Amino acid sequence: MSAFASSISSILDHIISSIPLFKPELTLMIAFVCSIICSLFVDKIWKFSSFIITITGLLISLYFLLGQHQLFIGQSGFFEMIKIDQLSILSRIIISISTLCITFFIQQRFSNQIRPIGDLYAVLITATLGLHLLTLSSNWLLIFIAIETVSISSYVMVGYFSKTKFEAEAAMKYVLFGSICAAVMLYGLSLIYGFTGNLNFDSSQHIQGLIEAPKIMCSMAFLFLLTGIGFKLSFAPFHVWSPDVYQGAPTPITAYLSTVPKIGALVLLSRLLASWTDSPFYYSEFLTTITIIIAIATMLIGNLAALKQKDMKRMMAYSSIGHTGILLMVALVYVQHDIDVLLFYLTIYALMNIAVFLFIDQLEQGIGSTKIESYAGLGKKHPLLFVCFSILLISLIGLPPTAGFIGKLLVFSKVFEQYQVVNEVSLLVLLIVGALTSVISLFYYFKIPLQAFLRENQTVVDLPKFNIFLISIAVSISIIVVILGIYPSLLLNFLK
Amino acid sequence: MITLTHFLVVSAFIFCIGLYAVLAKKNAIMILVGIELMINAAILNFVAFGKYDKINYGGQIFALFAIVLAAAAVAVGLAIILNVYRYYKTVNPDQIRELKD
Repeated sequence: MSAFASSISSILDHIISSIPLFKPELTLMIAFVCSIICSLFVDKIWKFSSFIITITGLLISLYFLLGQHQLFIGQSGFFEMIKIDQLSILSRIIISISTLCITFFIQQRFSNQIRPIGDLYAVLITATLGLHLLTLSSNWLLIFIAIETVSISSYVMVGYFSKTKFEAEAAMKYVLFGSICAAVMLYGLSLIYGFTGNLNFDSSQHIQGLIEAPKIMCSMAFLFLLTGIGFKLSFAPFHVWSPDVYQGAPTPITAYLSTVPKIGALVLLSRLLASWTDSPFYYSEFLTTITIIIAIATMLIGNLAALKQKDMKRMMAYSSIGHTGILLMVALVYVQHDIDVLLFYLTIYALMNIAVFLFIDQLEQGIGSTKIESYAGLGKKHPLLFVCFSILLISLIGLPPTAGFIGKLLVFSKVFEQYQVVNEVSLLVLLIVGALTSVISLFYYFKIPLQAFLRENQTVVDLPKFNIFLISIAVSISIIVVILGIYPSLLLNFLK
Repeated sequence: MITLTHFLVVSAFIFCIGLYAVLAKKNAIMILVGIELMINAAILNFVAFGKYDKINYGGQIFALFAIVLAAAAVAVGLAIILNVYRYYKTVNPDQIRELKD
């Protein structure tokens, strides 16, 4: 004890000096507490209070993040627990902006619910906080805490209303599957800690420990580890929860689950691959091979299963599994530290998915169904809505002149460059599968414009009433997607 | 003399028992118990390995955090399972399958 007494003041000094690095997250924590207090006491008097607190908290946190851009690049704080670099700042900006969109989405959609939704905002802030931590750290302890924070808040969000039996079932499947994956991941982490005696995955001691570890045990630990990350990213074979949960959960929550947590998890996976696949030892090769295999399997399963879906939300779940395959390709590309490709694809992916779910939700409100057939003939009644919807779907396929095309083009060309350098057949197979599945995706995405514009509606449907605010967000996102498709440098220069 | 190997063997056993409880699913509560066993196996590993990490005590700290997080996840899980029971009058995951392809 006396050995520590002398160094305690220097430890405290270090902690105090790292607080400025942590300002965006501290803001979120304060916003979380305030939002809980508001939802308990103030919401009865003024029902927008917790919403306003959430928006303000997110905006202040975004302001601090933009401030970090010049000041703290390359610094680390809290004994190497958090590291500020370009990737973490930009990905946190994307996460915050997407969460802002989702907050408006939730507010507009649930404001007339009987059950108060103040707590939902608090949970949303917690999830965002967890994602911020996930992008900041390379320490397993903080990463595990972050993953669990995001997971637990997502469980609560899915099961928050439980108005129908579907919502309750989706939440149960999610919580059981998620907890199992987290437990398996924890076991893998304990093995890796045993091999290395260190929790920081890009430290030299960690790498040294992995080199000396027994091969079979080390490979097993990696597979256990990928289980946890795979659950968050929903890649094969850990994707089975996502169609059920996406279909069962309320649409704004689905929009959140399908985009924002994937950004955080992908940044983590990219960092992991970047620090572990650079060396010439067997575990680097093992990790690269396994990632390529998973990416191929994910793209095939997602896109082939999407072909036979009749429910729009379920189809989007499989489509986002397919996109996860491409995100894995992006993670492999990041090994060369192409941060702009990674972030460009993530931004576009988040924008497209949020807008598609806004449209799905508004149509669900209007016609009371998420079946693709129920869109029949609606295109002539709502030309603007369905034209924008089709633009987004074209972008999801990856056809020009949309941003989705540019994103896929950048990813494919980077992977091809890497193929030319290392001359590995598996990368070529990855590219071919990626291109093929993009063609497959054409068939299921085009079902929607086909139904909307070419099929006649037999029964007369009442004109649905749309929420103008949400529709205008979705329409402006579709315009942004086209503009970025024509001038991608607008975003790419910002992400450099 | 109890060595590191003993701890690892015990924790591997506990992990396997937990995994069995999860896979032989007949009751959602039992699955939660299985998950808890798996987490505790990992915690045992962490504490056992932590003996050799005298500088940072990373394993011990990790064990503490893992216990708290496991408790939080189980609390949320139980609340959700209670909700499911209200609709389905059962907690057997095999019979709760309205959402499927």
